[in-house]
Amino acid sequence: MAVGQNVLRKEGVEKLTGAARYIDDIALEGMLYGKTIRSPLARGLIKSISFDTDFDWSPITVCDWRDIPGENFVALIENDQPLLVARDVRHAEEPILLIAAESRTLVEEAASRIRIEYEELTPVLSIEESLDCREIIYGDDNVFKRFLIARGEVDEGINQGDLIIEGCYRVPHQEQLYIEPQGMIAIPTDTGMTVLGSMQCPYYVHKALKQLFNLSDEQAVVIQTMTGGGFGGKEEYPSMIACHAALLAHKAQRPVKIIYDRAEDIAATTKRHPGVIRHRTAVTRDGRLTASEIDIVLDGGAYVTLTPVVLSRAAIHALGPYRCENVRITARAVATNTPPNGAFRGFGAPQVAFAYEMQMEKIALRLGIDPLELRRINMLKEGDITATGQQLRWSVGSEDVLNAAVERSHFREKQEAIQIERASGDSRKRRGVGLSFFFHGAGFTGSGEAKMKARAGIEITDQGRARVLSSSTEIGQGTQTIFCQIVADELGIGFDDVEIEETDTSRVPDSGPTVASRTCMVVGRVIQLAAREIKEKIKRFAAELFGAPEIDLMEGRFVEGGKVLASFAEVAREYAAQNGKLKVESQYASPMGVEWDDDSYSGDAYPAFSWGAEVAEVEVDMDTFEVSVLKITTAQDIGRAIHPLLAAGQIEGGTLQAVGYGLTEELVWDQGRIVNRMLTNYIIPTSMDAPDMETVIVEKEYPHGPFGAKGVGELPMDGAAPAIAAAVLNATGAFVSEIPVTPERLMMIHEGTRRESNED
Amino acid sequence: MRGFEYASPTTKEQAVSLLGSSDDDAMALAGGTDLLSLMKDDIVAPRRLVNLKDVAELRGIRLLPDGSLRIGALVTVQELLDNAIVKRGYASLIHAADGITSPQIRAMGTVGGDLCQRPRCWYYRAGFGLLAKDKDGAALVPEGDNRYHAILGNTGPAYFVNPSSLAPALIALGAKLHIFGSGGQVEMNLENFFAAPTSANEKEYRLKPNEIVTEIIVPSAGGWKNATYEVRQKESLDWPLAAASVALKMSGKTIESARVVLGHVAPVPWRSGEAQAYLAGKTISEQVAETAGTLAVARASAMSHNGYKIQLARVAVKRAIMKAAQGGQR
Ligand SMILES: Cc1cc2nc3c(=O)[nH]c(=O)nc-3n(C[C@H](O)[C@H](O)[C@H](O)COP(=O)(O)OP(=O)(O)OC[C@H]3O[C@@H](n4cnc5c(N)ncnc54)[C@H](O)[C@@H]3O)c2cc1C
Repeated sequence: MAVGQNVLRKEGVEKLTGAARYIDDIALEGMLYGKTIRSPLARGLIKSISFDTDFDWSPITVCDWRDIPGENFVALIENDQPLLVARDVRHAEEPILLIAAESRTLVEEAASRIRIEYEELTPVLSIEESLDCREIIYGDDNVFKRFLIARGEVDEGINQGDLIIEGCYRVPHQEQLYIEPQGMIAIPTDTGMTVLGSMQCPYYVHKALKQLFNLSDEQAVVIQTMTGGGFGGKEEYPSMIACHAALLAHKAQRPVKIIYDRAEDIAATTKRHPGVIRHRTAVTRDGRLTASEIDIVLDGGAYVTLTPVVLSRAAIHALGPYRCENVRITARAVATNTPPNGAFRGFGAPQVAFAYEMQMEKIALRLGIDPLELRRINMLKEGDITATGQQLRWSVGSEDVLNAAVERSHFREKQEAIQIERASGDSRKRRGVGLSFFFHGAGFTGSGEAKMKARAGIEITDQGRARVLSSSTEIGQGTQTIFCQIVADELGIGFDDVEIEETDTSRVPDSGPTVASRTCMVVGRVIQLAAREIKEKIKRFAAELFGAPEIDLMEGRFVEGGKVLASFAEVAREYAAQNGKLKVESQYASPMGVEWDDDSYSGDAYPAFSWGAEVAEVEVDMDTFEVSVLKITTAQDIGRAIHPLLAAGQIEGGTLQAVGYGLTEELVWDQGRIVNRMLTNYIIPTSMDAPDMETVIVEKEYPHGPFGAKGVGELPMDGAAPAIAAAVLNATGAFVSEIPVTPERLMMIHEGTRRESNED
Repeated sequence: MRGFEYASPTTKEQAVSLLGSSDDDAMALAGGTDLLSLMKDDIVAPRRLVNLKDVAELRGIRLLPDGSLRIGALVTVQELLDNAIVKRGYASLIHAADGITSPQIRAMGTVGGDLCQRPRCWYYRAGFGLLAKDKDGAALVPEGDNRYHAILGNTGPAYFVNPSSLAPALIALGAKLHIFGSGGQVEMNLENFFAAPTSANEKEYRLKPNEIVTEIIVPSAGGWKNATYEVRQKESLDWPLAAASVALKMSGKTIESARVVLGHVAPVPWRSGEAQAYLAGKTISEQVAETAGTLAVARASAMSHNGYKIQLARVAVKRAIMKAAQGGQR
């Protein structure tokens, strides 16, 4: 069996030995280097563009918006984002011109010879400025999208409560910071355009290319090259870069490469949406939630892009994994003159998770109830109903993860030890423990998967091996490996006899984007079904071939009654000789009874949720207010772990990314531009900052996932920031309602708290 | 990055003759850890790079007859950390070098380069110039995002902080610098090497475009307790937010004289006369160290976003003194 085993990753050796070729490793005959000329202004009108007449422009290819054959937009949700600005600049770093030349030096030289004059307009740079509507930059009121989730009677619920507790929480931008920056090569072909590059979603790029040049499915070809991380940052933005490279390539009729350097990548591409989240919760004295009103405002940036989908996930997760009969969640995303915010691991959930978990901490504090107890009282369990009215029918690991995290971390013992330590005198280094509890819907929200109808397939090669056909990308998370494991076990052949087709739109079907913790649960399921069908077909064939009706396929051999009749490869070759190539393509269908209503925003938001609980232990230096995370213990229910080591890797990596979100990562803006666009001043945790981590995988199998698997990609991003903030609260008494908990912020809160308590 | 000519001389005389009359003409290249990133960001664009790494006489650490230590400008941070003499007598220098956490930077970055590296001020690094002015000539830092900027010596026009961690430690140890130029060799106190620029065409240290640093001379630290304490954002590879290096000449349990130098808080490594005067004649205690810290920042003034650094600097001084008292153990 391959499932559940830590088999070697399919592309591991290649990566480890340096044989793997990333986009910037590829150089083609006659290739030009492209560069994007961007606006330094956040908002304005282009008055003129002039090209230095002392410079020889003949070797330079220049494109502006007039070179776009069709309409000027990047095909996404609203099609409102232009590929190149014609006149109206809506955010800093917005692309205006594209230039290409034979060397990078020459491109840089040419870039310095272009002058763009603007008429400056007053930019809208924050959620507050957008909401006050002094400047209108989108629609009538700057609001991109609204959602309302309503359940029960909030007013009644408030009356039932003994206490009303309010909180306002702020979450910042966050940069994905994949190791490999964005990059694409576009190659004009006789029939159309081929694009290679670093990306998560080849069919998004494919759609954008088709639209740009009005190409057929076959004329546009998109190939994913080895990709050094994505984290959502390579979901939508690659379409923009691909179109830019393609425009230049089309004009020059030569291949064009565009690679962003780190500064350009940080400055210009998407970020996690910042937000302001308000909670108003009614609770009884014994800690039951009776009503919850939540208001979410996210900053979408200058264009709609994926914002409505992020907002939707934020709204659906806003109450957290808690029971409450009376709920009203209002969610808005607003426009600002900043680069569009977009997909980032967690997709709206980490933002609201920080808010709902800190609200739970606040409630516990006010009621004088132990925070763990408060979670136990209100947690969702199997059979319970969520804010959208979804009854949790299966695979609910909520209690298991909470228990596991508490036991493994010795949460209670730690709490007590800290109390004793505290009582024995004031130390300048204080320890604290904190807890978080969270959940994450796997797959697209609502009817997304039903509409998407993900496709994937399997073909049997001439050598008699199984080859997986899917556009789900390997971006470091292990897609290729787990797909092969699933096929090996479903089909009954060895892991080494399964291979993966290149992620090339001319060879693989559209499995949907590689996002939303959906690859294993949804696409993995489709592949499992394809494998099942292949197995049926080839078994039937073998049964006839050998006159053995009871024949079975196990570990790559056809057997009957304990006797080996032939190898899978032999039979497969025979099958091909007689019937032609054996190839099966399957399509996703939602499990029976999973229903969602887009109008009332209610129903089964996700076929299944993954569950997590996390305990963070910190030490705070009371003079410098540095927070060191000593240990994180996390238990996560992800359904069956197809590859436990890769799953643990996802959990540890995601948790560390969330440590950065909670503690250090902060973009500094000046007039709508990012000032700290370098790794030396945008601080992410390094391996040296990684706390000791203990990971417990809980496997509550999901009946409609491959071998019971759910999703693991995003869940780990949700829990660390609130767990750390809770631990800081435990250590210092400072209640943090805004992340990151930088030392300066903590010092200010601490001074404030001390002043308040002195006045009391 | 723009194209440039590359020269690799083998003597300091050749090196100096290959340098020019401005940074646009030529710049000296040691480990390149700072210079190359400045070139990539188009902050400097020398037409020629003069590689110093083949100039053998700039290498090596050795004891001089008078007991002082000679550190060649090309000595790498890692070589410094590995050196037995440095480890034995100069704890404060080890602490400072140890703070440069990335193994790659330690392997390539040199002591001379550390002293001559340019400020990390993000306005400077984004192309607004060392004095960070907008196109109308207004200073950007006082009203802008100055969370990492100066809290001492910040009356303008320079608001950045000196980025070198080794400089405060070396100054506290009384180091001198040898500079070689067309007129031959000059010696100066390292402290005097640094000066806040008053106009856009000055640097934050006194080195002509056709001069190089050849070596650093550190007097024997016998009888001096010394230590450095840094406060940084987590264990990240970034520069400290504030640091203090102290050297205390002891006579029994009493401090005979003290040198206290703060790093990353002012456009120059900041010598605190107040703390030094106070410490002379005192016996080290938690309380004494605390007061010294408070005195060291007595004249500090916060800009809009960096008040927090005052607290950090105070704590750094206190902890550096306590660390020195404990024999400078890490
Ligand atoms: C991620 C990161 C973290 C860092 N953290 C720290 C830190 O915590 N503390 C700290 O102090 N530093 C830190 N540094 C800076 C590092 O120590 C310096 O970049 C390094 O010491 C510079 O040495 P170099 O030989 O590479 O200099 P180069 O980059 O070669 O040169 C730097 C400058 O000095 C000039 N120069 C070099 N040698 C000479 C010479 N002999 N004579 C005249 N001019 C010369 C060059 O012309 C250039 O202007 C960090 C750097 C990085 C990238």
